[in-house]
Amino acid sequence: MKNKFGSVYFSVFGLFVLGFGIAELVIGIAGRSFTWSILAISGEFLIWRGFILFFAGLFYLSSVKNLAEIHQLAKVVMASMMIWIIAGTQILATITESIPGGEEGGWLNNWRDFLSTYSPPYIPSLILLPFSLVTIYYIYKKRSA
Amino acid sequence: MLNVDERWDLIDRISKKAIKFGKYRHTLKDAIGELTVKPLTGIPVAIAVLYGFWAFFGAFAGFFTDGFLVKLFDAHWLPWLQKVFPAARDSWFYYIFVGDPLADNCFEAFGMLTSGLFVATGVVLPAIVAFYLMLTLLEDSGYLPRLAVLIDTILHKIGLHGYAIVPSILSLGCNVPACTACRILETKKQRFIMMTLLAIFIPCGAQLGIMLEVIPETVGWVILYLLIGYFILGFVLDKIVPGKSPELLLDIPPYQKPMLDNVGRKLWMRTSSFFTVAIPFVLLGVIIVNLLYLVGIIDWLAKALSPLLMGWFGVPKETVGPLIAAFLRKDLAVAQLSAIEMTKYQMITSVVLVSIYFPCVATFVMLLKEGGGKGLLGSLTALVVTVFLYGGLLHLIWILLGVA
Repeated sequence: MKNKFGSVYFSVFGLFVLGFGIAELVIGIAGRSFTWSILAISGEFLIWRGFILFFAGLFYLSSVKNLAEIHQLAKVVMASMMIWIIAGTQILATITESIPGGEEGGWLNNWRDFLSTYSPPYIPSLILLPFSLVTIYYIYKKRSA
Repeated sequence: MLNVDERWDLIDRISKKAIKFGKYRHTLKDAIGELTVKPLTGIPVAIAVLYGFWAFFGAFAGFFTDGFLVKLFDAHWLPWLQKVFPAARDSWFYYIFVGDPLADNCFEAFGMLTSGLFVATGVVLPAIVAFYLMLTLLEDSGYLPRLAVLIDTILHKIGLHGYAIVPSILSLGCNVPACTACRILETKKQRFIMMTLLAIFIPCGAQLGIMLEVIPETVGWVILYLLIGYFILGFVLDKIVPGKSPELLLDIPPYQKPMLDNVGRKLWMRTSSFFTVAIPFVLLGVIIVNLLYLVGIIDWLAKALSPLLMGWFGVPKETVGPLIAAFLRKDLAVAQLSAIEMTKYQMITSVVLVSIYFPCVATFVMLLKEGGGKGLLGSLTALVVTVFLYGGLLHLIWILLGVA
C-alpha cells in the first residue's frame, strides 16, 4: 500500500521536477528570466540547473514502477540528491550573501537587509526541496526492512 | 614441501574454517554505486556533483573575499600603508613595495605588500581552501573512483584512462601535486600526455579564484574553451606520441561517510603547502615584475612583441607584463591583467593566453623532475604550437563574430 503511495507520489513529483527542469532550460537558453509569486527562474548557471532538474525528473519517473526494488529506490535517492545539491548550494550562497555588510556598509549586514536576503522569490529547487525529503522516509523504510 | 595445488587446497581448508560465509545482500549504497558508474545515470549525477563543487567554491570564496577581505585590503590596509610607508612616493622602493601611489584598490596598486599580499591571502587562499575541502570530501566519500570509471571511455580517446581524472582534478587545485599524481598512469606516453595537458589547459585553483574576481560573467566560457583544447590536444598527442595506453583496472571502494578528522588533516596538509610554496612565489613575482618595469625591460618587450600580441592574438601590447608574471604565478598575472584597459573579448583572450602560456615556474620544475629533459622539451614544443594556434583561433573567432 505504502509503495503504491510512493509510486503515485514520485510520479506526480517527478512530473513537476521535469517541468521545472524544462522551464529552466528553455528560459536559460533564451537568455531570459521569469518571476511569478514566490518562484523565480533566473540567476547564474540556469541552463545547468535546468539540465540537472530535467534528469532528476526523469529519474523519478523511471523509478515509479516497482519502487520497492533497490535499484528503483536508488534512482529516487539519486534524483533527490541532485535537488539537494542545487538547493543546498543555493542556501549556502544566500547565507554567505546575507552576513557581510556590502561595499558601502559596515563589516556585518543590518537586520533588515539580513532578513530580506531570505525573502522570496526562490529558485525551483528550493521550492522542490521539502517535497523531495519524503525520500528519507523510504531510505529508512528500506534500511529497517 | 607443498606443490601449488596442495597449497590452494590448504588455503581452501583454512578459509572454510576461519571465514563465515553469509548470503550477500545488495544494499542501497551498492545500488547507488552501480548507477553512478553507468553513463546514462552517472553523467547527470556527475554534472550535478560538479555544479555543487563549483557553486560551493563560488559561495565560500566569495564570502571571504568579497564579503570581508576586499574591504579589509582596500578600505583599511591600502590607505594605511600609503600613509605610513617610510619612503618617498616617487622612489623605486615605494613602487616595488606599495606600487601606484594613486591606486584606490589593491588589485591596481601592484606593490608587493598591496597586490601581492591581497592576491595571495585575500583572493587565492579562500579559493584554495574551498577547492581542497570539496576535493577531499569527494575523495573520502568514494565518488572520485566512480568518476574515473565513468569518464574512462572518453579519456581513452586521448590515450589516457579513467584514473587520469585524479591528476586532472588535482590540477584544478595546483599543477605541482598533479604532476606527481601522474605517476599513477602506467606508461611513459600516458604520463607525458597528462603532464602536457595539465600544464597547458588546466587552470589552477589560484587562477580560478582570480578569474572569478576579474571576469566572473565569462569564466564559464573560458573554462569551456580550455576544456575543448584539452581534448583536441590530447587527441593529437595520442596520435603522434609513440607508446601504449593500457586499460584501466580499478578497485572501487564502497560509498562511505567522510571522517571529519581525515578531512581536516588532508585539508591542512594540502593548504599548508600553499603558505610555504605559493605565497613566497607571489611576493617574489611582484618584486621581479616591478623591477623589470623599473629598468624598462617590460616596455622594451612590449614594443618588440607588439606585432605578435596585437596582430596575431588581438590583445594590447601591455599584456606582455602579465605574461612575464605568469611564469612566476599565473594568478598574479590574471590579477595584473585586470588593471589593463581592454575590451571584454580581449580580456577573455588574455586570460586564456595566460592560462595556456608557459607553466608557472613550480610546474616547470615538476615537469623536468617527473618527465626528464626530453619530456619537458616535448611538453614545451606542444605548448608553443598550442599557444600560437589556439590563441590565434580565439582572435579569429572574435573577428568572425565582429567583436574584435
